[in-house]
Amino acid sequence: MVDALVEIHRVLTPGGILVDARPDSRVPAYAERRKPRGFQRFGVVKTSRLELANDRASDRAITRVVREGLFKRRRSGRFWHRVPFSDLAELRKYLWEHQRFVHRAEWVVDSATRKRHLNDQFVIRRAVRYELLEALRSPRNISLARPD
Amino acid sequence: MSSVGKDSVGDFGRHVPALSSALRPRPHDELREWGGSPLVRRKRVLDLGCGDGRLALGIASLAARVDGIDPDPEAIGAAKRNARKAAVRNVRFATGAAQRLPYPDAAFDLVILSWTL
Repeated sequence: MVDALVEIHRVLTPGGILVDARPDSRVPAYAERRKPRGFQRFGVVKTSRLELANDRASDRAITRVVREGLFKRRRSGRFWHRVPFSDLAELRKYLWEHQRFVHRAEWVVDSATRKRHLNDQFVIRRAVRYELLEALRSPRNISLARPD
Repeated sequence: MSSVGKDSVGDFGRHVPALSSALRPRPHDELREWGGSPLVRRKRVLDLGCGDGRLALGIASLAARVDGIDPDPEAIGAAKRNARKAAVRNVRFATGAAQRLPYPDAAFDLVILSWTL
């Protein structure tokens, strides 16, 4: 990842901006039922171990190129994004197929409630994090031989 | 984290394939969260890991030029088809890896890693 960030620095003008945006695995996602007004939380959806490890590796790579003087952190933030599903079965299918999340939600409502709302519309609400980094003009030499 | 923005809600009631770009926020929703159109306006932009061109095509009307690159040739094929369908002329797509970008030094004002790193 560091080698990709070094290459990005090369193609950016000095003062140019790198936007790094990705799902925020540090906070859980939520399975929610859509109500006429608003949403009802039905479960918590955790990120898979593999993706957590990938995200930590990405964080380390960013930290390293900042430390090495290639980029300066400018601004960061987080927003929420809802992925829509036409019913609970579709949401479950998505969790089963999607690698980012664990395959089963941890339900916070009982099975009778889930059964009653099987055909309602659902969403997975997840956090997306972003960071803007500024390419600096004169980076110190960076050794790619060292681990991230 | 310095800010928490509003929810961005997609369209309900449609099937969402697991690997579809439909799972992502809409380009203008993302751009608004990052700081809005000034970030992109009249800039030379590289969308790294562009997939089917969702974001590149979504911001092309604001940018001077957008290049999209992705290691997946099928995704790049889809991106080119989407560009033709949308009649977007200031976007180019290429197959390639982030570790060896086929662009000269200082070619871009903005590089976007959206759900890529």
